[in-house]
Amino acid sequence: MQDELFNPTIREQPAPGKPPWRPESIFYPAFFGGPLAAAALGVLNGGRLALPTPQLAAIGAAGLVGFGARLAIAASVDGNAPVRYGAMIAGILVSLVVLAFQRKPFRAYTYRGGEPASLVGPGIAAAIGFGVLEAILILALVR
Amino acid sequence: MSALTPVLARAEALLQTNRPQEALAELATLPPAEAVGVPATRLRCAALAQMDRWEAVVHAATAGLAASGPDPDLLRHLGRAEHRCGRSQVAERALLDGLALAPQDVELLCTYADVCAANGQADKAAKLVERAAALAPEAPIVYATRIQVAYASGDDKGAQRMSREFVAAYPEHPTAHALLGGTSAVRGQVDTAYEGYRQAAASMPTEQAFAESALELRIARHPLMLPLRPALRFGVLKTWAVAAALIFGLRAIGQPVLSAIVGLLWLVYCVYSWVVPPLLRRFLRRNWH
Repeated sequence: MQDELFNPTIREQPAPGKPPWRPESIFYPAFFGGPLAAAALGVLNGGRLALPTPQLAAIGAAGLVGFGARLAIAASVDGNAPVRYGAMIAGILVSLVVLAFQRKPFRAYTYRGGEPASLVGPGIAAAIGFGVLEAILILALVR
Repeated sequence: MSALTPVLARAEALLQTNRPQEALAELATLPPAEAVGVPATRLRCAALAQMDRWEAVVHAATAGLAASGPDPDLLRHLGRAEHRCGRSQVAERALLDGLALAPQDVELLCTYADVCAANGQADKAAKLVERAAALAPEAPIVYATRIQVAYASGDDKGAQRMSREFVAAYPEHPTAHALLGGTSAVRGQVDTAYEGYRQAAASMPTEQAFAESALELRIARHPLMLPLRPALRFGVLKTWAVAAALIFGLRAIGQPVLSAIVGLLWLVYCVYSWVVPPLLRRFLRRNWH
């Protein structure tokens, strides 16, 4: 009888492109930039880790849901503090979604001897860019 | 199995002390008929692997297989080398060919587990290593592969526990100490990690990677790195969660000044963690070399 452990299961890895970021590091821009920053970096990093499309879509959807929640908070309460805290909490939650999908693939990447790329530049850019974008959208849509 | 000739025995002894270049020189003295035989090719592949010359291992193993026919050990060398060259599918084919010849070969099972783990198939890797463990529970390669598969699965705590078991079972084995060093480093336990790599480097002074890791951890133990130990030990998420809870908690209970001070201190800490390690590394490396 054929031993199922001895069936070939390995697919050739795609040619190495840009190295991925450490998924845990996305927490920083997520905290400062909000859910859209977390989702954008998560989707880009997922592409670098060759995640399947449904997982990339789930990360993108989590970002949109997080931003939707922030919009709902902005529409229902007065004052800026809850909207700001909402961005941080939603950003953290989206970064946890990113971590859930990317922790194992990133481990496999480092196990193969891969080195992560630095997130400092892209992280700051995403935190500022998406933070400003979210603020503009909130002002335009609900304030 | 026939006894090794004196040349092969010397080459094997040199490999056991991590002196692959001398082993290759020894193998080069063999007469042509013996040089292409399976025992010599196995040792040549092992020597080249110790030197990380993976394309040369592929070449040597392929030539050996062409000259002598299928051999599980040469197929294992070929599979491992193909994997290291980034051709995992070819590696799998070679390893499965080897396992078809020797389904209970512990080294083949562990090498295949390693390739599976590196390709994101940690569950299959765990099953393979458990099968190897059922055959040879105390073999060093089984301990080592179990630890690596646990690491690949994200089970850092389990990997460190198994590393301690490996060291307890083989207190003289450099790989056991290196794995304890590596798994402790992942968990932010820099003293244990340094001690592991230091002992590995002491047991095998010719292995540059052990000495390099010990040096990195010596940097991590520097007094200027002391403030960063909690972040290393508990990880980014937990450290940030505590800081954010403290900053916003103080504000929520009506202590905005205290909250601002903690926030400022946290910002300084973040900048310190970003700037100091690379500067210190550069400074210490320049002075230690």
